[in-house]
Amino acid sequence: MELSYGLLQRRRAGLMFMIMTVILIALCGRLAWLQLVLGPGLRERALEVRLRDVPVEAKRGTIYDRQGRELAVSIDVDSVFAIPTQVRDKEGTAANLAAILNMDRDWILERLMRQESFTWIKRKIEADQAAQIRELRMQGIDLTQESRRVYPKGQLAAHVIGFAGIDSQGLEGIEVQYDSWLRGVPGRISIEYDARGEEIPQAVHRYFPPTDGLSLVLTIDETIQYICERELETAMVGSGAKSGTVIAMDPNTGEILGLANYPTYDPNNYQAYPAASRRNYAVADTFTPGSTFKPITAAGALEDGLISWNNRFFCGGSLLISGHTIRCHRTGGHGSQTLMEVIENSCNVGFMTIGMKLGIERLYDYVETFGLTSKTGIDLPGEAQGIIIPRAKAKVLDLAVMSFGQSLTVTPLQLITAISAIANGGTVLQPHIAKELRTADGALVQSFASKKETKVIAEQTARELSEALESVVENGTGKRAYIEGYELAGKTGTSQKTVAGRVSSEFHVASFVGFGPARDPQVALLVVIDEPVGAYYGGQLAAPVFSNVMRDVYRYLGIPVLLPTQ
Amino acid sequence: MVDLRKMLRHIDWLTVASLVTLIGVGLVFIASATNAQPVNGDNLHYVKRQAAWAAISLAALIIVVALDYELILRLAPWIYWANIALLGLVMVAGSSAYGAQRWLEIGPIRVQPSEFAKVAMIIAFASFLSADHRQEAGALGRLRDLLPSFAYVGLPMLLVFKQPDLGTSLVFVGITVGMLYMAGANPKALFGLIGGVLSLGSLAIYLHYRIGLWIPLREYQLRRLLSFLDPGSDLRQSGYHTHQSQIAIGSGRLFGKGLMAGSQNQLNFLPQRHTDFIFSVIGEEAGFAGAVLVLGLFLLLAWRGTVIAARAKDKAGSLLAIGVVSMLVFHVLVNVGMASGIMPVTGLPLPFISSGGSSLLANCVAVGLMLNVDMRRFKIYF
Repeated sequence: MELSYGLLQRRRAGLMFMIMTVILIALCGRLAWLQLVLGPGLRERALEVRLRDVPVEAKRGTIYDRQGRELAVSIDVDSVFAIPTQVRDKEGTAANLAAILNMDRDWILERLMRQESFTWIKRKIEADQAAQIRELRMQGIDLTQESRRVYPKGQLAAHVIGFAGIDSQGLEGIEVQYDSWLRGVPGRISIEYDARGEEIPQAVHRYFPPTDGLSLVLTIDETIQYICERELETAMVGSGAKSGTVIAMDPNTGEILGLANYPTYDPNNYQAYPAASRRNYAVADTFTPGSTFKPITAAGALEDGLISWNNRFFCGGSLLISGHTIRCHRTGGHGSQTLMEVIENSCNVGFMTIGMKLGIERLYDYVETFGLTSKTGIDLPGEAQGIIIPRAKAKVLDLAVMSFGQSLTVTPLQLITAISAIANGGTVLQPHIAKELRTADGALVQSFASKKETKVIAEQTARELSEALESVVENGTGKRAYIEGYELAGKTGTSQKTVAGRVSSEFHVASFVGFGPARDPQVALLVVIDEPVGAYYGGQLAAPVFSNVMRDVYRYLGIPVLLPTQ
Repeated sequence: MVDLRKMLRHIDWLTVASLVTLIGVGLVFIASATNAQPVNGDNLHYVKRQAAWAAISLAALIIVVALDYELILRLAPWIYWANIALLGLVMVAGSSAYGAQRWLEIGPIRVQPSEFAKVAMIIAFASFLSADHRQEAGALGRLRDLLPSFAYVGLPMLLVFKQPDLGTSLVFVGITVGMLYMAGANPKALFGLIGGVLSLGSLAIYLHYRIGLWIPLREYQLRRLLSFLDPGSDLRQSGYHTHQSQIAIGSGRLFGKGLMAGSQNQLNFLPQRHTDFIFSVIGEEAGFAGAVLVLGLFLLLAWRGTVIAARAKDKAGSLLAIGVVSMLVFHVLVNVGMASGIMPVTGLPLPFISSGGSSLLANCVAVGLMLNVDMRRFKIYF
């Protein structure tokens, strides 16, 4: 069909108009979608594009000792940051900052050249530096308040408290264990900027305040902690030992009153110390308990009624077990002894005899219920647990040796927890170190108590054993721990270390564990001195530390002392 | 000579009114868009410059209206070759900006010959298509009948494409298709060809990414072409314009944030906002209502243009009118589509509104041609 141009012209012009109308309506449709449907969301986005956040650090909670004395505090400090896109005079600004902060100019310049909306120049600077920076009012350079962790008592309780890093994040000890409570929630300031990154005058500044962290009250007593550390250090310096630990515990609650390790460090300057100094031997390392384990053997046999205080035990200097001759520490033997004398003398032959009566199964039962095969569950990071020959593989020889505390290892914390059970009438309490969480203004948030308690021996058994341990100090191997009227109960320990799989006659661990007063125990105390040079007997090395600590702790706590009778 | 006063009675005042309103809207939003970036302390710098260009452009329009379009059509071959020469000159002696060589500097002013090339092409192509032998019925009936036209348009288009100015060369395609259709080309042949080229192009781009097939586009052009499909993929680079522009338009909602109150605009988040992205400013500050009104003005122009094409006294006249509205509507489609994120970012101004002298002048001359055709629609006029 042929059309004249006039007709075709009108028809095609009309169609062209329709096509153009459709195009323009389609564009309107797109605009309606963007502006009417997506509009509200995009308006929010438009604001978000313009907001930049400056972090505001939350103040980390204070750590107190049980008397409310500050062990770790956070002080307000300033941190310098830059908004590089706002810095006009990059060279000059870098030079100024370098001079004030004593930093490398080129390093700062490189930061200022970045295409970023936020970069730290230096965190946690000194007050006078902050004042100088404030005074210069450099474009694009600003300060924000952060906090710095300070440990006002220096090395005191370093292994318990641990330390926090530059971002106020807990890294060791209680600081990491309770980090989520101590840390708080950081806030931020949102500042409106334009596309060139310039702050808009009178623009939106939204402040989202940080929530400060909670304060933590420890079971540690600063004074007891100090006494433990002082006496441990004296002994360490005197003996030239490799490391040492003192733990003081309230046997009635499981609260740790003091926990000292040597070598130690200053958490204010933790980077300056070797990792070995930061190691918490009391919970993270194991040792062979030796004779300090013997009360457990005795407790089991007494509880099971296998021995009584009337029994007599003969020590001829050695005992033949499964073809092996195992010697007592006293050449020639202790002769005929009562049970009390066996404990006083710490007679190995006597304890082997008791162990044989108890048998493998029951000894293992008691080792387990006293908590020596599992972690105590203390609220400190990095807890280890002792090593023991598996029950199924244990032989009679192992039983004999274990009866006097060899061929098994425990952590110092496990041992004091077990001995505390004898002190408190037979209950193993989970040790703990955090007492309360409080808000910054002191309101109580949460109290902590022992989460787990296991009754392991009868009250009667515990009391009899306590008396026997008191006798050890009065008449036996623990005489060096004796103080008249203090009613101290305790047990010495001297064990040979196992070096490279063999029992060494060169390296020893000297220890002393005990509590007092024997009839109403207030404090349980363990002293472990690892690899002393020269004298290595627990009675010689550890017992004096024990008595020195106890003497001062008694005075400090006002524990009544029986006046010496003239 | 022609009796101008008599002719003025036949001028299409609706066209004039929408044209002047669009220029006015342009001045207002250029003022808002450049408010935050004063030049030499004068934040009306761009407005003043645009107003001056508007005066020049309206004067040019009057001159174009005064000359009989038949006379203009007789100059078509000269215009065609002068245009080619000018585009060639740009290639040799043009100045660059934003990575393209598009401008000629004449004393203090910079002109963009590719803007005028579109108008020149409309005139030349209208003359070409209305040549006697193409008036015959069925002259554009077959695919191969269209080939000479493509060759004719192809030469200047290629020169523009090489600048590179992808947007303008696409407008050439829009004008060519509109005018060929109006000239009576077989719709099946014409649209079949367009469909074929589009699918071939898509296939080529696909193969470019799959097997590295060579295509005559630079990597940045390709990225910009495709980034509108997924602006989130490259927000800092090619997707940035589209993303910020969509936020601006969307956040305007129904009635906008008010003149000078658009945060995306005033706070410099919108790039090129007084030129190519001025529609984003309109969307943000005048809202959906304002944006639709502006599109309504263009629809008014399109309506007048097609009416003029329908009642023109001869084929050449109707081709001129259709060429002009094809160009304008294609510009609007690409520009608004780009600002709202449904078209690739190709850098085309919004006619009459975007700041830029060459574009305004060229578009006013084009509308002048349209009015010219309409005023002389009565065959017996003398």
